[in-house]
Amino acid sequence: MSNEAHVAASGPAHSGAHDEHPPTTIREYVMIGLVLTVVTAVELWASYNAHILGGTLVPVLLVLSAFKFAVVVAMFMHLRFEHGLLTRLFAFGLVLGAGIIITLSAIFWNDGTDVVGGGKTSVTEPAAAPAAPAPGTTPAR
Amino acid sequence: MAAATHETQHPTSTGIDSRKVLMWIFLASECLFFGSLISTYLIFKGDSISGPTPAEILNIPVTSASTFVLLMSSLTMVLAVYGAQHGRLGMMKAMLLATIVLGLGFLGFQAYEFASFVHEGLGLTTNQFGTTFFVLTGFHGTHVFVGVLYLLSLLLAANRRTGLGRERALHVDIAGLYWHFVDIVWIVIFTIVYLIPNN
Repeated sequence: MSNEAHVAASGPAHSGAHDEHPPTTIREYVMIGLVLTVVTAVELWASYNAHILGGTLVPVLLVLSAFKFAVVVAMFMHLRFEHGLLTRLFAFGLVLGAGIIITLSAIFWNDGTDVVGGGKTSVTEPAAAPAAPAPGTTPAR
Repeated sequence: MAAATHETQHPTSTGIDSRKVLMWIFLASECLFFGSLISTYLIFKGDSISGPTPAEILNIPVTSASTFVLLMSSLTMVLAVYGAQHGRLGMMKAMLLATIVLGLGFLGFQAYEFASFVHEGLGLTTNQFGTTFFVLTGFHGTHVFVGVLYLLSLLLAANRRTGLGRERALHVDIAGLYWHFVDIVWIVIFTIVYLIPNN
């Protein structure tokens, strides 16, 4: 049985089904690689010129990173041309993974139990020593 | 030929090969794994009592070079998949070999970075930054190493007379999914660990 016949017999026709040959050409793949390289170079430039971007540096870096992530997933991993089920499966894991990062950061970022303060201050700043109790008194709890 | 074709296309209700679905499920679960490691790094990187701190020790130029190497390995990997899907076996083998070499190059950069950090006094147990940094990047490096072994096995199979052929493009396609995932994880790690200022 040929591949085509087998695919046709395997289930209902769906336009987004797995395509044996994604339509992307070698030239397009190389162009995508070039774009990814340029975006990485822009990220580097932004990182070394943080004073120019100021407070927008982190959002800019995150957006550029997300762009590269999306391009690789869509074009190199061919998710753009695949069945929607695969997109939903991966998106499910991705949302849960991002949820873990956001939730844990929200819980522990300023939990006040850190050795060096609770506010992610300078890593070299020593913790303030607790005041010594006066002689004959019970330390406050 | 018929047997080989049967091996690449199991009849399923969705029309998608089950092995491909399994790889995507695995990659989705890996998002949770790396999500945990990245959040742990973010939480603890600034809590070290003693140095070296991220701002003191991270070598961005060297890591940028290794990032470029890994990006290029994704390009060669997708060209290997292209070669497999279009019956250009010579191209597939050459691109698989190039991906393996680039993957080994990335691991070489990482080994150099780890060795220089240890030389400068940052080990796995030096401080919380060291612990979370080495665990996060070390697990990623382990994934790259596993990917290199995976691709090497495909290359060896392709060089056997009865081995990987045009009808087995799915194997290269699935290996490519794993390799590209390793690349996108590094895209996130590179930004969060190296590029975002560590003050």
